[in-house]
Parts: sequence; structure tokens; C-alpha cells
Amino acid sequence: MSDLIRQFRDFFVSLKLTVVLIALSIVLIFAATLDQVNLGIWAVQQKYFHSLFVLWRIGDIPVPIFPGGYLIGGFLLINLIAAQVYRFKLTAKKSGIWLTHIGFILLLIGELITGLWQEEFALRLDEGETKNYSESYRSNELAITETTDPKFDDVVAIPEKFVARGEAIQQAKLPFRIVPKIYYPNAALAARDATTPGVAPTPATTGIGLQATATPLPLTYKQNERNAPAAYIELAGPAGPIGTWLVSADPRFPPQSLEYAGRTWKIAFRFERSYKPYSLTLLKFSHDRYAGTEIPKNFSSRIRLNSPDGRDDREVLIYMNNPLRYAGLTFYQAGFENDDKTTILQVVRNPSWQLPYISCSLMTLGLIVQFGIHLVAFIARRRTLPSAVV
Amino acid sequence: MSHRLLLLVVLTALGLTSCRDPQISTYRVPKEKSPAMTATPAAAANAPGATMANTPVTTAEGPGLSWSAPAHWTAKPASAMRKGSYAITDDSGEPADLSITAFPGDVGGDLANVNRWRSQLQLPPLAATELASATAHLDVNGLHMTTVDFTGGPTAKPQRVLGAIIPVGNATWFFKLTGPAALVTREQAAFATFLQTIRAPRPTS
Repeated sequence: MSDLIRQFRDFFVSLKLTVVLIALSIVLIFAATLDQVNLGIWAVQQKYFHSLFVLWRIGDIPVPIFPGGYLIGGFLLINLIAAQVYRFKLTAKKSGIWLTHIGFILLLIGELITGLWQEEFALRLDEGETKNYSESYRSNELAITETTDPKFDDVVAIPEKFVARGEAIQQAKLPFRIVPKIYYPNAALAARDATTPGVAPTPATTGIGLQATATPLPLTYKQNERNAPAAYIELAGPAGPIGTWLVSADPRFPPQSLEYAGRTWKIAFRFERSYKPYSLTLLKFSHDRYAGTEIPKNFSSRIRLNSPDGRDDREVLIYMNNPLRYAGLTFYQAGFENDDKTTILQVVRNPSWQLPYISCSLMTLGLIVQFGIHLVAFIARRRTLPSAVV
Repeated sequence: MSHRLLLLVVLTALGLTSCRDPQISTYRVPKEKSPAMTATPAAAANAPGATMANTPVTTAEGPGLSWSAPAHWTAKPASAMRKGSYAITDDSGEPADLSITAFPGDVGGDLANVNRWRSQLQLPPLAATELASATAHLDVNGLHMTTVDFTGGPTAKPQRVLGAIIPVGNATWFFKLTGPAALVTREQAAFATFLQTIRAPRPTS
């Protein structure tokens, strides 16, 4: 083994590293908890825990100022595995410690998998409505949809960050380029009367943008609000610009149609969608109250689940603590609106949801075994002690 | 060799964290039957929807009743559910509680409300025919009050409820004094005087 590798190994096996990492995580959690006041829980998770470094923006340059959750957690994971391999021998006496450590390693791996692959979407259904997609709580996309075919829509979904970059986007399926001219991460919409003398000019040359304007708003981090980005988008063909549209992710802002080269399209800024190979129909939403009061007793959604291959066509009842688990997703009853006529289901994919249960069980078992071994040894010693004295 | 492999695996896993950038995607979907974007009500513009945890409990709105409480009753802060709240203590320690609440409508009617209070004292429910004999009526400052007086609970520690139900406009107000039977008996006269101070809101002209 070369010196370098030995140093490397000694560094990761060291108990000092464990102590330093735990101290760093205490500071990280403390700072993140305080910052939750400014950023809200989701942004704090991204900034402090689902990152290698906590970044501080000086001007436009992000400067790492503290190790993030992934770095600390990752080092802790390596440290624990390395200690397990090099420091602890697998003997019956140490079996409890082994079990506990394996449980903790699983917990860290589970959190990593959750951070990387967990998805969280919302599914809003009016009574009688059928949908085969859910919508993101936070991400938005610019959707250019070709509607020429009477049966199908061909969608090109462009994540918001491409719009934010402001660079021209060329996509093989589109006969025109998309050029984001102006982008506001959060914007308010207002009516614009072009006939009023002195009205401010608009970058829009066609569509709703002639009658509406978007003004930038500060970003919101509140849990019960979401940002509604808006943008002025120019579409340009080989012969030059086709027009500039105002688009907004505000749900009141409808998709706009356009025709180009004998084909029809729709352009919309919308909540990012995740399509499924099956559909859900809301048959009935129930909001039960305790008799004679307005105090909620139960919320439930009666849903028809239908897959086009005919494997599933059944009714399911989703209510609190009784979600629908289907195709790797969990559908929870999360909310309602529109005078109890619309249900909101939270759609979650968490491939490692069992891991915390397994790891906690392993850790509990490990501790019981380890303390049990010590207890048995202690009792055995006490039994032998008096006879030795006498 | 195994430790190198181990490091490589973990570092690769960490490296994956930077590879999750969303990309432009294209797909074909069946035509939507209705324009979903415009179906969303305007109120949902910025809110991700009402969550069940913060479902508001509707309490009666509009102008409320006014009252003056005896000086020895300690006012407690009103809450989302209570329009007024008082604690009454004596030397034995366990306090009595006076709650003032109001809800829209008749909240199930007098029988349901009286039986709810009786069930809190572990008393059997009354039948509709027994309601008239179990309640009394008062007319105070233009308000019609239905009053009740029940004693129940464990024999060793009996509890007593003095209550008044007052319909006001489209809402119903509840004044309920509950606590150890001895203490409530001591406060019975004060409660009766207190009811006399309840007034309807003055009509605004």
C-alpha cells in the first residue's frame, strides 16, 4: 500500500473525523433552521442539505462557505464504512455494534436516494375530470404543443431554467427557434389598454400580451405561495421573427394558439407536468363535518383508476392516512378547493421509503444485542465473583 | 483494492448530485378534453391549494355580543374558537372555566347541544320530549336565552355545567361555565348576574 493511500485511509477511518463531521452537521442544522424564516422549508432543504456546499452569492459569483448536507453526509458515510472495514472485526462480541452501524449506513444511503430520486407532484381534479398527469409544486416549463393531429398533441417541454438563460433554443421537432426576450422569475399580470394615450409599449407583438403586461415581483419563499414566472418569448423561423408572445405560469393565463407553415401550435408557460401511462377520474370528493358544526371530520376522494392496457379499471377511495399506492407512486389526500368540488392529491415517488424503517429496526436490534451481550457477561462475572473470593 | 472501490462508489454517488439538471423533453399525448389551464379557479393563482391541516373552523362573524364579567373572574386570551374565556379559581386549586363561543346556524339545534354537554358530564342523553323540562328560558336585553344546569361526572369529583344558548341573527352563541360542582355552585349567583349583562350589538345607523 502506498503512503498516499495509507494517509487517505487513515484520514477516513479516524474517529476525529467523525467528531468533526458531527460538529459540522450541528452547525449546519442550526443555521438552516434559522434561515428557514427567510427561505421557507423547501429552499432551505435545497440550499443546506441537498447540496455539496452552502453557497453565498457575492454579486453573480456563488462562493462556497460551508460544507452542505451531501458533503457532510457523504463523508460520514465513507467514515462509517471505512471504520467498519478497518477498525471493527466481525466477532460475536461486536455483533451488536455491527448491526447498529449497518443500520446507520442504510439510513444515510436512504437519505441520499431520497434526495436524488424523490419526486413530489400535485394532482388537481375537478369532480368528473380525468387526468393522466400530475403537476409540479415548484417547477415550471414552457410548453410548445403541436395540435395539428386531431387525436394527439406533440409536446416540446422546455424547463424554466432554459427560459431564464435567455439563449435561443433550437429543437429538432420545431420548425422555429424559441428566443426568450425577457424573463421574470415572479411576476404580476395587469390589464393593458392599448388605446389609452401614453400607454407603455409592450415587447409583445401578438396574443394576450397586447392586452396584458407583466411586472416583476420579488420571489416568494412562503410555503402557501408559489412564484408565477412570466416571459416574453419570440418565435423565429428561417425567414425571420414570427412574433413575440407574453406567457405566464399564472394558472389564469390560458395557452395561446398560433399557426405557422400550415400547422397549429399552442404556447404556454405552465406547471411542469409528469405524464402517467394511466388516468385518474375524480368521481366524488367528500368533506365530512362533525354533526352540527363546521369542524372537519374526514376528507376523501373516490377515484376511478384506469389503465389503457385494461389491466386496471377500478374504483379506489383515498382518504387521510389511506393513500393509493400504484406503479411506484403514492397518492395522498392533500387538499381541496373550489367549494369542495376539486380535490388535490399529493403524488410522491420515494424509492427508498422502506429504508428508514429497516435501518431503525436494525439499529434498535443492534443496541439490544450489544447491551444484552454486556449484561449477560456482567451477570456471569457477578455469579463467579463470590466463589472466587470465598 | 476493496477500499478503493468503496471510495469510488461513494464518490460517484455524490457526483450524481450534480447530474440532475432538467432537460428539454418531447412526447406525444392524447388530446385533452378540456383546457385544464383555464379550469383552475382564479383564487389558486398563487396558492398551492388549501391544506387540510389549516382548514379554518368557521366561527360566527359579524357584530358580537358584549358582556361584563365579575371582577374575580380572570380573563384568559380568546382563541380561534373562543370569543371569550375566563378562569375562576378557589383555594382547592382546580379552576372552573367559562367559555364563550359562537358558530353559524343553529349548530344542530338545542337538543344536540344540550346532549353534547350532558355527554361531557357522562350523563345519558335526553329525549326530545324531555328537553323542555330540562331547560329554562330567560329574556335579557332583548335576547332569548335557553339555560341549562346539569351535575354529573365521577361521584368522587362531581362536575357541574351552567350554560346559556343564545340565538343571535344567523348564529348561535354559547356561554358555558364548567368546573367542580362545589365551585360552580358558589359561582351560580355570579353567573346569573353575568347573564343579565349580556347585550346584543347596537344597530349601526
